[in-house]
Amino acid sequence: MGSLVMDNVVSMPGSRPVFGTGERANKLKSTRFGSKLVNDYWNGVFAAKEEGKKVVWYNGTYIPPFFHSHDLVWVHGEAWSAMLAARHQEVRAQARGDQRGYDRELCSYARTHIGQMLIEMDKARAEGGAALEDPRMEAMMKLPPPDMIVNAYPYCSSGQQWDDITYRVFGKKVPMFTIQIPLLWGGRSDAGYMQGEEWHQRSRYVADQLIELTRFLEANTGRKFDFDRLSDTMGYIKKAAELRLEGMEMCKARPAPASFFDWIVSIAPMSFLPGDQNIVDYFQGVKEEIAERVRVGEGAVKDEKYRLFFDGMMNWNKVGWLADKFAQVNACVVAGRYTHMSFWQEPQLIDLKDPILGMAQNYLVCPNNHGAPIMIGEIEKHCDNYEIDGVVCHASRTCRGMTNSQFLIAGSAKKYGRQAMFFEGDVADESFYKDELLNVRLEAMVEAMEAKRRAA
Amino acid sequence: MSPALASMKRAAEQPMEYAAEWKARTGRKVVGLLPMHFPGELAHAAGCLPVVLQDDTEPVTVGQANVFNFYCGLNRSLIDQTMRGKFDGLDAIMFGDHCVQLLGTADVIRAERPSLPILFNQLCTTLDANWALRETLGTFEQLWKELEDLTGHRISAEATTESIRLFNRSRAQMRRLYEMRRRGEVTISGRDMQTIVKSSMVMDRGEHVALMDKLYSTMPRRAVSSSDVTVYLSGHMCHAPKPQIIDAIEESGARVVNDDLYVGWRFIHADMDESLPPIEALAHWYLDKNRKMPCPTRTMQGVDWEAYLLSEVERSQARGLIVLMVKFCEPHMYFYPEIKEAFDKAGIPNLLIETEHEEIPMEALKTRIETFVEIAKRRADIKAA
Ligand code: SF4
Ligand code: SF4
Repeated sequence: MGSLVMDNVVSMPGSRPVFGTGERANKLKSTRFGSKLVNDYWNGVFAAKEEGKKVVWYNGTYIPPFFHSHDLVWVHGEAWSAMLAARHQEVRAQARGDQRGYDRELCSYARTHIGQMLIEMDKARAEGGAALEDPRMEAMMKLPPPDMIVNAYPYCSSGQQWDDITYRVFGKKVPMFTIQIPLLWGGRSDAGYMQGEEWHQRSRYVADQLIELTRFLEANTGRKFDFDRLSDTMGYIKKAAELRLEGMEMCKARPAPASFFDWIVSIAPMSFLPGDQNIVDYFQGVKEEIAERVRVGEGAVKDEKYRLFFDGMMNWNKVGWLADKFAQVNACVVAGRYTHMSFWQEPQLIDLKDPILGMAQNYLVCPNNHGAPIMIGEIEKHCDNYEIDGVVCHASRTCRGMTNSQFLIAGSAKKYGRQAMFFEGDVADESFYKDELLNVRLEAMVEAMEAKRRAA
Repeated sequence: MSPALASMKRAAEQPMEYAAEWKARTGRKVVGLLPMHFPGELAHAAGCLPVVLQDDTEPVTVGQANVFNFYCGLNRSLIDQTMRGKFDGLDAIMFGDHCVQLLGTADVIRAERPSLPILFNQLCTTLDANWALRETLGTFEQLWKELEDLTGHRISAEATTESIRLFNRSRAQMRRLYEMRRRGEVTISGRDMQTIVKSSMVMDRGEHVALMDKLYSTMPRRAVSSSDVTVYLSGHMCHAPKPQIIDAIEESGARVVNDDLYVGWRFIHADMDESLPPIEALAHWYLDKNRKMPCPTRTMQGVDWEAYLLSEVERSQARGLIVLMVKFCEPHMYFYPEIKEAFDKAGIPNLLIETEHEEIPMEALKTRIETFVEIAKRRADIKAA
């Protein structure tokens, strides 16, 4: 699962797309609190070793409640890549990966992460003349190296292989635990969204692995896992998730009070920030601002004329840029697969007395982990719910996890009378982004939506 | 070319035509199989013809409407073939590997051919997890059931053990040829070796075994030229490299002595234990083979592909390593840098060739290969001196 940054939205370079009306997206103000939370999180990470805490590196789904409940510090590889992108350091990291021979067509999230690992190691070696095995290395690396690696990547094989490389880069010594979150193919006759034999079998399978994860954490810390604490942590997360969904639901209003891009910057609190009162406050704030906007009729986009759905992985170098781009043609991207079909989007499944099964199920329903028919059925429900006119597919060059099925998604959109378009870009490698192509296609889509409206 | 090899060549080049003839002849079902680790034995025991689906030589045309050009050639070709109706003779497809690109392809096939059953049973990818055996047994039990539903017949344990025995024999036959090639006892081109393995992926196994027997009885045992530079071919996941590339290598003064290609040693290296109950034999085969031959698509601590390659190159007395990498193949892209580093460190010449489904500029490639062979030869001479 890809991740999020808050600061990359605020720290976008001054330039912006010269296009359409020149209007800018009317971003929610309440999300700024998230930047503080993200900064606090990273400061906590950087201080981990001084505080004598063990550090887990992980990739994949929203697994941190297990780490949080066990007093560990966790580093989300994707978030780290995204943070580097926000600080415009991803190019350097990718170049270091390239120097070692990681092909440019490989997942750019992984390349950024691995490249930065190599840079940190280079630095530490140069400063201290130490080898990887040298205990001084730890103190010399800004990001604390892992005491454990946990991989829990739904659907995408590349996500699993990425951590195989992390494990290898750190000398094949760090204990690693790999959880399999298998695809819900949905081929049996009773298959449906969150139903059928496969759903129940797979839920149990992932839940069993999560129990094993607690044993792995116990074995590597010498401390007993506290399931009551897990329930407490999940209490905050469940509450925050409910508030988030309530806020999303209010975006059915016209004009939509918040956009997909506001939900993009709100992923961090759902994905990897600690499950505590802060994330509840965050979504309470977001929901209140949305409610106020609905009350006064304020939209996320000025003079909203079209409502769009965003399919695909986020283009993390371009969040603010894209938010403005759509605003300039009076199009509000109201919802997206990545934001609306993920990150604890089924909180009712979590039984706080025994949360593991519900957690496993939330991991399983991540936005690409269903076979196409069920996944597209869910997309269509969102499109109906938010009265979507068109679907924008981000063909993220190096992320096949999210480009799979996009032709089918576009086909389905057209079947139900919506426009569909593709634009080319990438998760974290800016060189794949084609601005001109997006302009041309977006203009064409706007014209088609306009023509349809006139004809109606 | 011997008649046995000619028959194999026909099947390898036209697998779906072969399958159609087989089906007309037997009246039984043909099951397509997606790479790389899913076994064909159970489908065989069910009376079906398991056919590992291959890329074909046609350029991707209609398929472009359903797959991006940044997907590997196999996936693009499979989608194109589906849309051209090439797979319409299949009665089902089965697979269980988790390559993200392949998962996408399966969904396109389902959308394009909704009436074609797809038996998807995802294999456990963390082979050293303590739940791996339990999960893998469950996977094959489910497949067993689904194949019974497909054919409408019970699959007996005895029939499955019989199929396992047959497949073991087939693999052993091909391994023997590999060993003879490695020891320089036969002259067999890389192209022909590919034909032999590829045809075993698509033919009736019994027929292939009989053809192999014939091939052995007519094969001239002759010593190979000692002036050739011996090379080891590595990589090329999930489908065969274009034979022209192997020709170009061998026409440049190199001789292929061994490989770990999927359409090669990777497909035949591991047998199933005939003494175990068949479900257990299947599960152990799957879970253990990574230890024998590491695969970048699986997760298993303590195994290293580059270490395997170093030792195999040495055992095969190869003077150089040629890595054939399928463009856009993610697992290979992840692991390649470590292979290169290990070979550079060991001073063993190595060359990366990236392959694509579309035409490859052969002249430029030949020049690169010739330069590489020259370097490998010089290094070998210096070492010998
Ligand atoms: S390819 Fe996409 S889904 Fe897969 S690991 Fe990379 S960012 Fe994640
Ligand atoms: S060749 Fe590589 S990318 Fe293609 S299907 Fe196989 S593992 Fe996946």
